[in-house]
Amino acid sequence: MTVDLSLQAMLLMYALMLVPLAIFFHLQLGIVRETVVAVVRMTVQLVLVGLYLNYVFAWNNPFVSLLWVAAMLVVANVSILNGAGLKRGLFFWRSLAGVTGGTLLTGGWFLFAAIRPDPFYDARYMVPIIGMILGNCLRSNVMSMERFYSGIRRSEAEFTTYLLLGATLREAVRPYLREAIKAAASPSIATMATMGIVSLPGMMTGQILGGAMPMEAIKYQIGIMVCIFAAMVVASLANILVSLPIAFDDHQRLRPEIFNNIP
Amino acid sequence: MIAFENIVLQVHGKTLLDKANLVVRPGEKAVVLGPSGCGKSSLFKCVVGALPLSGGAIAIDGMVLNAQTVGAIRSRIAYIGQEPVLGAERVREALLLPFSFKAHRKKRPSEQEVVGQIERLRLSADILEKTCARISGGEKQRIAIARALLLGKSIFLADEITSALDPASREAVVAELFRPGITLLSISHDPEWAKACNRKIAIADSQLREETP
Repeated sequence: MTVDLSLQAMLLMYALMLVPLAIFFHLQLGIVRETVVAVVRMTVQLVLVGLYLNYVFAWNNPFVSLLWVAAMLVVANVSILNGAGLKRGLFFWRSLAGVTGGTLLTGGWFLFAAIRPDPFYDARYMVPIIGMILGNCLRSNVMSMERFYSGIRRSEAEFTTYLLLGATLREAVRPYLREAIKAAASPSIATMATMGIVSLPGMMTGQILGGAMPMEAIKYQIGIMVCIFAAMVVASLANILVSLPIAFDDHQRLRPEIFNNIP
Repeated sequence: MIAFENIVLQVHGKTLLDKANLVVRPGEKAVVLGPSGCGKSSLFKCVVGALPLSGGAIAIDGMVLNAQTVGAIRSRIAYIGQEPVLGAERVREALLLPFSFKAHRKKRPSEQEVVGQIERLRLSADILEKTCARISGGEKQRIAIARALLLGKSIFLADEITSALDPASREAVVAELFRPGITLLSISHDPEWAKACNRKIAIADSQLREETP
């Protein structure tokens, strides 16, 4: 079993934050306040989640778990659109469909085809696994959506040339789509390639600290990494493809009003 | 045929053309004249649906430009700008780029046709292996023209395409584009080019006016 962290131990860990804060202050980076707010937010959010998950796990009700997953999907979707600099009002539903599709498809595969918990809706599996997949999808989707639309905006003359040379919208966006998917996938490829040597992954570490045998923890880690990677690629691609009818007008021109900062 | 019917063109809130009309018939060679910023390049972009009109209509060979016809119209027209974008790393890839699209896949030219076309524009076959970033502005213009000719386009919108060309290269371009089967609507500040065109259109008082010699 994990050693329970006492209040004193928690305070000692928070004390470690004084080191980076002192560095920020000394270098006059102007991010001391921002950092303190972030740590406070993290603490409050995690405490609330911890309290809520206690109930979710105790009830172990599939509808309560799904409600939690739905809330995570909505928050992740809003963060993706904000991070990519795209108008929420225009893209919300399509982007939600893309992220939900990518996350649930691979998460469902991992849960119901590979692990098969009993009962199949066991909240102890469903909530953290979907949460981990979604957290990673968020990062990759912000990168892919931002890269895709800013790439087309920056290279408007090139994009228009493709259309004038006879490309369909799908053909004209292909170079930017390739760049976006590559940008979304590359960090995870590098992470997988060095995993176990440069870094010990969080899920595996958590399971070992929780008392699991290392080989058992490794199997879960491999499974979740593959699952996260597939979800990231599928969700990034799906999100871009479903957003195309909103982002371009009927003459295949990129609509400038889709961006939060209109030039 | 290119027909402008009562077109209204506004750029950044400024009205550049107001209910202007013009018809360029098949095979005609027309040049649009006017000071910088009067709307010449914007007018060309409207023809290929790259810029929206504020009013009126543009028709190409009887097809009114709209969401349903924009693809077909783009496939008939070659638009060549002052600084053409080649859209590929190497010249050969740039020349063959449109043939990778579904619309032109079956029209892919042979090596002999590619070389023949670029040589008629006074470019040597060596250029095919060069990267687009390393060729001059004049060479880029001729590669863009060669690409349009390989696609068999019959309507050309040429925006200052001789600006970076020496006299001999300009002659070669004129010989290729002033053939009877090609309808040419151009913008040029080159007096020789304007002289070669059989119609001169001026943008004045927000209208398209025929200039008589």
